[in-house]
Amino acid sequence: MSLVEVAPRRGSLLRLVRSELRLVLGRRRNIVLLVGLSLVPLLLGTVLFLTQDTALDGQGPGFVGRVTGNGLFLVIASLFLCLPFLLPLTIGIASGDAIAGEASAGTLRYLLTVPVARGRLLAVKAVGALAFAASAVTAIAIVGVVAGAAFFGLRGITLLSGTTVPLGDGILRVAAVVVYVGLSMTGLVAVGLFFSTLTEVPVGAMAATVVTAIVCGVLDQLPQLATIAPALLTHHWLDFAEFLRLEPDWGVLGQGLALQAAWVAIFGALAWSRFTTADVSS
Amino acid sequence: MHSGAMNESRRTLSPRARWTVPVVAAVAVGMAFVAPPLFASAGDDGLPTITPEELAAQVASAEPSPLSGTVVYTARLGLPEIPFGAVAGADPINLLGGSSTMRVWSDGDQRSRVALLGPTSEYSVVQDGPEAWTYSSTDDSVVHYSLSAADQARFETLQEQAEAGDLPVQSDLPTPEEAGRQAVGLARTSSTVTLDSQTEVAGRAAYQLVVTPTSDTTLVGRIVVAVDATTSTPLRVQVWSKTDTETPALEIGFTDVSFATPADSVLAFSAPAGSSTRDVVVPLPETPTEATTAPEDKELPEGVTITGTGWDTVVQASGLDVAALVAGDPAAAANLPGVDKTFGSKGAADLYAEFVPEEGSGSPMGDLDTTALYDTLTKPVPEGRLLSSALLSVLITDDGRVLAGAVPGATLQALAAQ
Repeated sequence: MSLVEVAPRRGSLLRLVRSELRLVLGRRRNIVLLVGLSLVPLLLGTVLFLTQDTALDGQGPGFVGRVTGNGLFLVIASLFLCLPFLLPLTIGIASGDAIAGEASAGTLRYLLTVPVARGRLLAVKAVGALAFAASAVTAIAIVGVVAGAAFFGLRGITLLSGTTVPLGDGILRVAAVVVYVGLSMTGLVAVGLFFSTLTEVPVGAMAATVVTAIVCGVLDQLPQLATIAPALLTHHWLDFAEFLRLEPDWGVLGQGLALQAAWVAIFGALAWSRFTTADVSS
Repeated sequence: MHSGAMNESRRTLSPRARWTVPVVAAVAVGMAFVAPPLFASAGDDGLPTITPEELAAQVASAEPSPLSGTVVYTARLGLPEIPFGAVAGADPINLLGGSSTMRVWSDGDQRSRVALLGPTSEYSVVQDGPEAWTYSSTDDSVVHYSLSAADQARFETLQEQAEAGDLPVQSDLPTPEEAGRQAVGLARTSSTVTLDSQTEVAGRAAYQLVVTPTSDTTLVGRIVVAVDATTSTPLRVQVWSKTDTETPALEIGFTDVSFATPADSVLAFSAPAGSSTRDVVVPLPETPTEATTAPEDKELPEGVTITGTGWDTVVQASGLDVAALVAGDPAAAANLPGVDKTFGSKGAADLYAEFVPEEGSGSPMGDLDTTALYDTLTKPVPEGRLLSSALLSVLITDDGRVLAGAVPGATLQALAAQ
């Protein structure tokens, strides 16, 4: 354990959280990532708007075909398209960088001189990474709903069951989808944080995090691995569709959240053990 | 600045102890996820013992109760792997293999909804008395099944008669006890009927009725029906093949059920704006009295013969151009034997309507390449093409005959050669 560490002092934690949030959300790279994610609904909306009177109207995987009929679906279609790769990529970058970035820049040992215990410092880093994940999902949602309203207008949504619910109910359901997708990212943040404590090379931690999400997604597709599929990080990600069914099954949604909680518990504990026992030399 | 040494002394956990925390977390998570099913699998043995006849009578006499729940259907038919990539979203074709989840709602009377769930899609079948709708979220299409105006009037008359209790065939209807005894008696002519140990399905105590064919030559090993002890509603049906004794070849059962009346909004359906709607008029069977006459009295449609008895029954139909049918040629469908005859049930009529498209509407299976599917599912044999699954074999001969039965493919081939 390094010798520069100091005893906790009252008030330091809040200041540290504030400065971490400023750092994460103000960092130019992270802003570029958020802008990039916001471009997804914008581009998707533009393309669908331009092609809506052609034969291609109403086509596309998942919810893409429904967007021209109702702008609210632009949010869902964008999240659906970002879930397999873009969201894990951006969140992997932010969370993989959390500790390893400081270590590679040589600032980690100075950070440890702040009178806050290492466990709490890790928690602060987790708050920063979670805040980025939340902003990423929110950025897609806000740009999606604005672009959707501008291009196609908002109206009551037709559920997967064929029932049409009023606009207010529809907005609530879409908001629930956004919250669920956001919460589905917590497990990935914990994984990224753990990898970040292992290395001083941020790119390594980022890559490992993204690879974890992608490998989980691929393994989930293999029927031979059906027995372990329910434990995979990505297994319940698409269950957000439950909010678009006639009667959302809270049991299914609960399973998805419980799975994320399990990944957070295990990888959070691993990150804590590693970070509180590691020798920090840079 | 405080000294680091003071900080060290304040801590009590050694590095080694710190590394036990993730291990404890992993074990706790494992316990939380794996343990509950282990405890839940204990069967309920507190039910009174009854005979198979009593159980069958209870099922027959039970009022159909309103219910809603989740049904998991698993087919391990041993069919060749179907390229499911070609099928986007929830589609009934997925029921041929693998596991599917469905949600069901029923008011126990005339109205029901069944939704086949895909990851981000749904295929719904809504029934409201004589009307039915299917809705596929994948292509946003509605198919509306209804009776013609004349049939509708006849249906309503029958409904009123049934409510007044003077249905023309009412006198022929046996009492539930008799129906139960008859059903078990009928099953006993070709099978042994026993009760297995009591079990638990969807968290409810259930009796298990086992029907085992006495015949050695059929593919069916046994059929196990789990019946809810309180409401006498069948909760699970398993069909075991002779070849696989580890897992049932076909299993459909509730994983979650509640016997409350579903909300009205669930059972109602109106085509969503912007969807494509297709109307199909289904003929009502001519006289409902026919439905209660014994099957052997019914005249078989032209070209259809039945050989064997009980579980070894083989149905043979001749004069079919299967290849054209599979390709979705409506002209070939119109020549099907018995198409304009009566259907045994509404379900059969629906199924028929599903597979016989309207003129010019193309293949009923949408974009699916049915010819490719047909070639994948069947394999060439000297007599023609054979579809063999764990429970059923179908032989399509080159001279236009179709033989089907719950017997091995070789039996069908021998029959076809006669």
